[in-house]
Amino acid sequence: MPKYVMVIDVEKCIGCMACVIACKKENNVPPEHYRTRVVEEVRGEFPHLRMELRSELCNHCEYAPCIDACPTRASYRAKDGTVQIDKVKCIGCKACILACPYDARYSHPDGYADKCSFCDHRLKEGKTPACVETCLGKSRIFGDLEDPKSEVSELIKKYDASVRLEFAGTRPRVFYIKKKFAGGM
Amino acid sequence: MIEISITGTNAITFPYLEVWDWRIVVYLFLGGLSAGTLVMCSIANLRIPKQPVEELAQCFKAPFIAFVSLAIGAPFILLDLGRPFNSFWLFLTFQPLSLMSWGAWGVAAVLLGNVFYMFAVIPPDKRNLLKFAFFVKVAQWAASKMRTIAKINFALGIFLGIYTGVLLSSFSAIPLWNNATLPILFLVSALSSGAAMIVIIAHKPEIKFLFTKIDIWLIVAELVVILLFFYGLYTSTAPYKKAIEPFFSLTSEHFIFSMALIAIFLLLPLALRIKLGELKEFEGEVHGEFTKHQIFRMNFAAILVLTGTLILRAAIVYAGQLTKLSSY
Repeated sequence: MPKYVMVIDVEKCIGCMACVIACKKENNVPPEHYRTRVVEEVRGEFPHLRMELRSELCNHCEYAPCIDACPTRASYRAKDGTVQIDKVKCIGCKACILACPYDARYSHPDGYADKCSFCDHRLKEGKTPACVETCLGKSRIFGDLEDPKSEVSELIKKYDASVRLEFAGTRPRVFYIKKKFAGGM
Repeated sequence: MIEISITGTNAITFPYLEVWDWRIVVYLFLGGLSAGTLVMCSIANLRIPKQPVEELAQCFKAPFIAFVSLAIGAPFILLDLGRPFNSFWLFLTFQPLSLMSWGAWGVAAVLLGNVFYMFAVIPPDKRNLLKFAFFVKVAQWAASKMRTIAKINFALGIFLGIYTGVLLSSFSAIPLWNNATLPILFLVSALSSGAAMIVIIAHKPEIKFLFTKIDIWLIVAELVVILLFFYGLYTSTAPYKKAIEPFFSLTSEHFIFSMALIAIFLLLPLALRIKLGELKEFEGEVHGEFTKHQIFRMNFAAILVLTGTLILRAAIVYAGQLTKLSSY
């Protein structure tokens, strides 16, 4: 089975927010709700400043606390390793929203919990997620980590990729590469 | 200096979590009260083993109060559900790692055990008030098994009291909640509120006095565990240390949590002082009936304890959602 991961090259992000818009359009995300976001982080004292633009989304963690917290198995691990939500089974208890250390989930106006699905409907058609396809700077790269020749495998090996809040022990599947800059997430 | 601006935030998680509100507070408070009341009335009913079974039920209003508390409290979590009509899914599966799943089955089990307890403690002369002959038979059967039922309800009460704390402490993403002291704190405060409730509802002076004495120990334990709870977080790593800031900053926008902590440390010691005064006044024994003034003072101390318990739960639920593992 594939092991889908996303690599985010933070240097290539130009902050156009096209990924945020593409995601909303592709997944009919309701107004004032988002499945992905772009964080603009400025560090330092003027004039010695540095800025990082960083896309954030559901990490489809290997040890997903949202799946553990779900009382009805509405949050589950799909066969392709991604974390998905069965809207029919979701009772809207919001335990998964509290359990996620990455604030990746929100409560849909229809009552169920919602989040990034890695555009699983597109994956089934052999396409990449909408945010990846639309990314102007090619900052978002998607692929199968099981394939050693895939671009994501090469990038993770080459650039010593990091993950958000590694100490949380969730083993995220969204990796960040920074060629020049170091800094917290 | 770090300046962060984010495009694509959800109001439920930014700038801080606004996920669980007063409905969960009411659920946790009434759940804890029910748990404590069940445990305490089981102690009252089990403490004298030699009397005939029929006379053992010293404490017959408390199981009813416990049932009503939980029966009112549990629907509050249903009110918080985004899709309450889907809640039947809770009972089509059991997820051992999900505390919500434990809660769904656990609360149902406690209510069921509590129903039998209510039947078991109905005094024989009041059984004729039951409308159906079947219920009278159940009450007769349950009364003969009163001690076993009381033991089961004691265990169920302990489970429910711990559960209200574990529900919160299971969220590793929330530093204020995610520690092992919280379930103990919630259990002790639940037991204390249960003892306070028995003091309010009991008629017999010796029962009132017994639970006043028990509550003294529970209040002392609660105050110690609150201190340990904060000390454990203070000596922990950065996100956990930061999590207690709202409780120790009178000048921040979250000063209400400091006020809550001050209120808890005023109400509980005041209740303790009153109870210690009673202990001295009666010199370890109760003779005859209490005066109205004495009963008022006992009830007042019990209400202080209940108020402290409610404030504690509200403060922990709301303050926890201000804290995150990430820096924003």
